[in-house]
Order: sequence, then C-alpha cells, then structure tokens
Amino acid sequence: MAADLRSIFRKTWRTIASIEAGVVLLILVVILSAVGTIVLQRPVTRPEEMQSAYSPQVLRILDSAGLTDVFHSWWFLALVFLVSLSILAASINRLPNRWRYFSHPYKFPDESFRHTLHPQKWLDLANKEGNGESSEESCLAAAERALQSRGYNPERVARQNQLGIFAEQHRISEWAVFIVHASLLLIFFGTIVDGLWGWRGTINLDEGQSSNVVALPDGSTRTLPFSIRCDAAGLENYPDGTPKKWWSKLAVVRGGQEVQKKEIVVNDPLLYSGVRFYQSTYGTNGRVEKLTLAAVPVSDQSRQGTAAKQEIGLGLNDVASLDSDTVVRFAEFIPDYTVRDGRVVSKSNELRNPAARLVVTSKKAGKDFEVWVTKMGEAADTSKVPWKFRVTEVKVGSFTGLEVSHEPGQWGVWSGVVLLGIGLAFVFYLVHRQIWIVPVRDARTGKLSLWIGGRANRNRVGFEERFNDLVSAIEEQLKPMARSVPHGATRFTH
Amino acid sequence: MARAKQEQQQPAGGFTLIVMVGLGVAFLLYVAFLNVHRSGNLLSESNLLFATLIFYAGASALYLGFGVTGTTACVKFASYATWLGLAANTAAVAHRWYDAGHPPLTGIYEMLLSSVWALAVLTLIAERKYGVKVIGTVTMPLAIMGMVLMQFLRTEVHPLVPLLQSTWLNVHVTLAILAYAACTLSFAMAMMFLIQDDMKTETILALSNASALAIYAGVILACFEKCGGLGLLVSNADRKAEFLLSQGIRVPVQISLLGWLMTLALLAVASPLACYGVALWKNNQSLIAVANRLVLVSILLQGLTLAVLLVRTHEDPSAWPSADPFVLTSLVGSVLILLLYLLLVWRRKDLERLLPTADKLDHITYRVICLAFPLLTLTIATGAYWANQTWGSYWSWDPKETWAAITWLVYALYLHMRITVGWRGRRAAYFVIAGFAVVIFTFFGVTYLLRGQHRFS
Repeated sequence: MAADLRSIFRKTWRTIASIEAGVVLLILVVILSAVGTIVLQRPVTRPEEMQSAYSPQVLRILDSAGLTDVFHSWWFLALVFLVSLSILAASINRLPNRWRYFSHPYKFPDESFRHTLHPQKWLDLANKEGNGESSEESCLAAAERALQSRGYNPERVARQNQLGIFAEQHRISEWAVFIVHASLLLIFFGTIVDGLWGWRGTINLDEGQSSNVVALPDGSTRTLPFSIRCDAAGLENYPDGTPKKWWSKLAVVRGGQEVQKKEIVVNDPLLYSGVRFYQSTYGTNGRVEKLTLAAVPVSDQSRQGTAAKQEIGLGLNDVASLDSDTVVRFAEFIPDYTVRDGRVVSKSNELRNPAARLVVTSKKAGKDFEVWVTKMGEAADTSKVPWKFRVTEVKVGSFTGLEVSHEPGQWGVWSGVVLLGIGLAFVFYLVHRQIWIVPVRDARTGKLSLWIGGRANRNRVGFEERFNDLVSAIEEQLKPMARSVPHGATRFTH
Repeated sequence: MARAKQEQQQPAGGFTLIVMVGLGVAFLLYVAFLNVHRSGNLLSESNLLFATLIFYAGASALYLGFGVTGTTACVKFASYATWLGLAANTAAVAHRWYDAGHPPLTGIYEMLLSSVWALAVLTLIAERKYGVKVIGTVTMPLAIMGMVLMQFLRTEVHPLVPLLQSTWLNVHVTLAILAYAACTLSFAMAMMFLIQDDMKTETILALSNASALAIYAGVILACFEKCGGLGLLVSNADRKAEFLLSQGIRVPVQISLLGWLMTLALLAVASPLACYGVALWKNNQSLIAVANRLVLVSILLQGLTLAVLLVRTHEDPSAWPSADPFVLTSLVGSVLILLLYLLLVWRRKDLERLLPTADKLDHITYRVICLAFPLLTLTIATGAYWANQTWGSYWSWDPKETWAAITWLVYALYLHMRITVGWRGRRAAYFVIAGFAVVIFTFFGVTYLLRGQHRFS
C-alpha cells in the first residue's frame, strides 16, 4: 500500500515536473486571464453595469463559474499554485545533475568526448627534431598565452601523464534558468503573502480632521494603531482647467504625539510602519468655513441714513450686528439649495447653489426672523426683515481621499523582480564557454598535433566565431616556434 | 514544376500597378502641398507627420518597384527612403517633445509616433547588422499603417495630469515602446524566414487573402447599413484623443452606396481564395495563375473603394478628416498585404537571393526575441513599481496589465519551446507571428475594446 502511494506520488511528481505540464498550465493561465479581461469583473464594475451588460441567466452562470471575479477565484489561485509547483518540481529534478556539472567541471576530455565535440579543430605541428616533451610544453604555453589574450584563465590538467589545458568563462551562467525560476517563485510568494495578510482601503479626511479607521472595500472597517491627520489639502489647475496637482499635508499621530509629517501628492505616498497613504481623490465636503454676505438696508423712511450697504463675513453660528438694533446669526448652510415638498434640502454635496439660513434679530421688535439666502438674494418672501441679503462668496472645507494599503509581501515581489532581471541577464547575455586543448602525438609517426575543442551553453553561432578567433590566436602564438602549417593541412572534424 | 513556372512568370499587370502606385503617391504629394499651402508653415507637426508618411510610403513603393522591374538598386533606394522617413519622423517627435515640454509618451497618438520611430530605427539596424536588406518590405507597410492612423488621431498638446507626472512614466513607456518594436521586428523576421524556408507560394496566397478577407468581412459586418450604405463613425475633431473611448463624441455618418462597393471588393478578395480552394481540390495548378490575376483585380477594386471612401468623406465636411481611423487603416493594410504577396509572386527568387539563409533568419528571429523578452519584463516591472507608487498596489489585474502579462507568458512559452523542447524553424516562426498578434491586441485592442485604468495609452 505504502509502495503504491509512493509510486503514485512519484508519477505525479514526474508529471508536474515535465515541460508538457508546464506548457499546458501556462496556456491555461493565458486563456483564463484573457477571459478575466473580457468578462466584466465584479470588483471593478458597478452592479447596475453588470446587470445591464448581461441577462440574469447569463450573469448567474458567470457568477457561479467564478468568471465575474476570475483573479480572486479559488481555481485561479489553484492554477497559480500548480504553476509554482511545476516550476519547483522541474527545478528540483534538474538540480542534482546541474550541481554535479557545476561543482565538478569536466576538465580533461577523453577520446570519445573529443570525437563528438563541436566545434573542434586539429592543428598539425611541424614535426621538429629534438626533444618531444619540450615541444609539447612549448605549444601548451603558446596556447595558454592565446587564451589569456582572449580573457580566459587557463588551467593545466593532467591525466595518466598526458597534459592538457582547460579554460572556461562564466560558469555561473549554468544557474541562469534556476535564478529566473526562483525569482518567479519569490514573486508568487510575495503576492500570496499580500493576498493573505495585506489589505487595501480608504480614509476620507476633512482639513484638520484625524482618523484611524480605514474603510475596506467589503464595507467593514479596520482600526490602525495610530491615526492620520490632514492639516491641509488642495488642488492646482492648469490654465485650461485640467488638474495639475493634488496635495495633502498629512501627519501621523501615535500616542498623542506627532511622529511623521509629509506633504503627499499623486505618485508620492506617505509610508509609516508598513502602511502607505496615497493621494487618491480631492473634493469639497459641503461644510462651510466662511460665508460672505452683502447686506443692504431696506429703504425704509424711518431708518434712512442710519446704515449703509455692508459686507460681512461669518462662520457657522457666528453673530454679527448690522446696526444698533439688528443682529444676524448664520444658523445653517447647505451647498446645493432646492425646495422639495415645501422643505429645504440639499441636492448634492457640490457647491452648486449654496444657501444660508440666517436668523435676524431686532431688539426693538423683540422678534427673530428666519431667512434663506442664496447667491440670487433671499429665497423666500422676507418683507418683514429690515435688511436685504445676498451670498457673495462661500468658502467651503475640502476633504482629501486617501487610499491606504498594507502589502507585507511586496519585498518578496521586489527582490523577485531584481532577481528576475539578473537571471534574465544571465540567460541572454552570459554564456558559459569551455575550452579544452590537448596535444596529441601520433603513436605511429610521432607527429605532434594540437586538439582544440570548445562548448557553449547558448548562442552557439556566436560561440563558433569566437572559437575560430581563438584558434587563429593560438596559431599566431605557435608561429615563432614552428612554421604554421599550410591552410590545406588543417584538418576539420565535425 | 508548377512553382518553377510561376517563378518565371512575368509581372503581369505590373504596369497597371505602377500607374496606380504613382497615382497614390501623387495624391499624397497633392495633399502635402495643400497642407503646406494652407498652414503657410513647412515644418509644422502635421506636415512633418505627412512627410514621414510619404517617405515610408516611398520606401514601400520602391520595394514594389523592385517587384515589378527586378532592379536590385530599388532596394537600396528604399533603404535611403527609410532613412529620410526616419529623419522626418525624428523631427516630428522632436517637434512634439518641444511643444509639449515632455517626451511624447502619453496617449495613443504619441505612443504610436514613438513606436513607429523605434520600428524604423530597428529596421535600419536589422538591415545593417543582420544584413536582412528586404526586412522593410514587412516593417514599412506597418509603419505606413501607423502613420495613417496618426493622421487621424493627432491631438493637441495637453498638460500632464497628476498621475502622469512621474519619471516612471518615461521609463515604463520607453521600455514598452522598445519592447513592442522589437516584437514587431521579430514578426517581420519570422515572415522572412517563412519565405526563405520554402513555404509554398500558394499557402501564402491563401493566408494573405484570408487576412484581407477577414478585414473586409469585419468592416462590412460592423458597418453595413440598409440600402447599401456604409455607416462610419467619425469623431468630434476637437476630442479625437478620446475617440471610441466614450459614446458621446462619436458621430455616426452614413455614406450611401459605399456598402455595395465594399461588398464587391469583398467578393474580389474572396475570389482568389475560392480559386485556391478549387485548385487544391482538383489538383489543378493552372488555376493558381488565375488566382494571382484575381489578386491584382482585387487590389485595383480595393484601391477604387478606398478612393471613393476618401472622396465621399471629403464631400461631407463633418466626416473629414476623421472618418473612422481604424476602418481606413485596416483597408490600407489589406491593400498592402496583397501588394506584398504580389511582390513575393514576382520576385521570390530575387528575394531569396537577397535574404540570409533560413537557418540564419531563424537564429536572428530568436536573437530579436532575446532582446524583446527582457524589455517586456522590464516594462512590466517598472509599470508595477509605478503602480505601487500611484494606485496603491503593484498589481491590480487591470486589463492592460493582464494583457502585458499574457504577452510575456506567450514569449516565455516560445523560449521554453525553443530552448527546452527544441522547436526550430516553421513552428517557432508561427509562434512568433501569434505572439505579434497578442502584442497588437495589447497595444490597441485593450485600449479600445476593454476598459481599465490605463486610459492614457
């Protein structure tokens, strides 16, 4: 039974590590992601829009299949998990071989290896009279000089009293693919950490207000261990009216103490203990800060000359006296005045038709008069009020909309991205080149020739050019020692 | 045998074509003259754009001239025309940059302007470094289509909104443009490979006609109105940048009888395909020659349709000059595809002589993707970093993001198939062509068909 389980596990492992499985999984990711961009997605679409785009039956099918929220559905997560597993399994399966290859480079080529290697070249050395050993030695030295001139660091190797040279460059590049795959796993890991422990929400703050409650997209809230205060917020426009800059002056308050201060703009968030505050929106909150009124006395015979036209500025519930007899109080403000069913209401929070309710008190009459005033003047019949009012200017408070996010896994993502860059640079631009050089003496004739072979793990076309260049450099170095063989005598073996 | 006969076939109708292309060039020059006359300023941005279009079109016309006459010098002159086009294109980019005060990297128009520039640069590099002298036969028609689109999508300079005031904008978009241009180049290389790899001329006939047919079918299905009119969307000239983005600024215009003409052109485009089908079924090679004649006829008819479309929209001042840019560009594209096919029919031997070997082309295609893939990776990485500073998250499954990731995955699949499985040649070339289709969708399709936060590109 246990053996069965083990064999099943081994089979599954082998399947998931295979390139076929990897390709199928990647194709599935491609198809499902494409579906996720074509079908409207719940998290970024308003419910009414969903309903107008699809009929109820279709919507029900889409919803139950998870196609309206592809990127958060369990099967998409499972797919990403399988892709990660496939990468991991493939890497683990290839690891031992690669490690052996990396840690014990093959340094002395035996005959069968020499036979199959491409590219390779034989250089015939003119048979010099005299000591054979010194001749072998000198041609190896010449080859070493040539290798050094091409940036290699040659190494003498010996086997069974046969000498040879091994040289290589960028052995580290054998790990390139592993680095790329590890970096992808790191990125996936980071996003999973964010999916589990990260959160996003919003805070809207009026100028001067502070808060530590973040509204999350699902309607719940989250309380921060510190609060954020908005000291000021504003926007600047270009002359043509398009927005140029949104800014908020924020302060972080912890335990009653201000611990950090920053003016944030779009593209430049505030970061405090892993929580980021982004400038997201800006607007008016509909609350008045200062109301400027023009007050003109009604031309009444009895009071003529006692007072002239006045401009008064009032905050909410402020009181100002207009003349010795009359006092006015700013009692209520609404930003978008309209009358519905005999009641005054505000249509919106936008400053479209600002109106103020004023309470005018006359000491002489001992009476209060209430009046609604807009930019046009009094909104209702106010014949009893001895003054005429008009709103000339309203300064309302503004609020800043902050996007708040906590992404504890992003360091995994960024280090993964950097690693990915390094890995790809290795994959595409770092080539592991190996060169072997062996002097071979023909047993029968005693003729000495130099065998040169090379191998590269990628860009073989480019490597052949380098290889030929190296061979000609070696020939150059051999010249003073032995007259170079005529062109036709060079043997090519493929 | 049959193919050898075709190779020797004299460029039938070549003279007609030269006259037609001559008329087209004359038309472009006439419009250029009108533009200069009207604006009174030779070096305005629109004139520079038009000059670029003329030079790129000139390069294509010279390639076609090579197809008709077989003079290799034409290819050399086409390369010079590309250089001139690049100079004009550079001037247009510089002009825009100077006007706006920031690099032309925001909005579809500026993206296109920079992308076509990058494509021209890569074309010239490919000609020199890789010795693929006729690569322009594929890239120049693409550049022409880009320039035609730009004539209609050109917008006034707008100041940067807060979101775009970031160094990362420049880094991210520059990388994206280079990556997409490299993908386009790899596509052109794959086409060259298919030619050199002895893909049957008939198969290419079927493929090019099928793509042209798809274009016409798409236009007719989308725009055919009752009584044979053709309904086109035109945009409010002041708000072209938002064309197709919001319903409010699209104005439908109906051009009577154009629908019938378009249907006729569709039939003409379909006829060579039908011929090919019959030839395949009856195993009758002589029908292929008929099909080639029919291709020429269909090109003439398409030219007529295009001319009527331009004249009729010109008559209606509300429709000119912004008749549905995508319809117009795809019609131009359809003509260009078939012209390329004729070039292939007439001069395949000469083309093959001018190209490197198939193995080498295969390798070059791979090298170009080795350039494009890291660029794509960096595009996504810098985009994620920028999003993390702006949107509050490095990844939010925005359609543009998702499609960039899909593009990346497609090329990653290509690399795996090539390196691990060992795909070479044909199959790898088909993969590259499919990858390019995904790139095009990421560039245009996502912006115009899907909605998302990337509404600036």
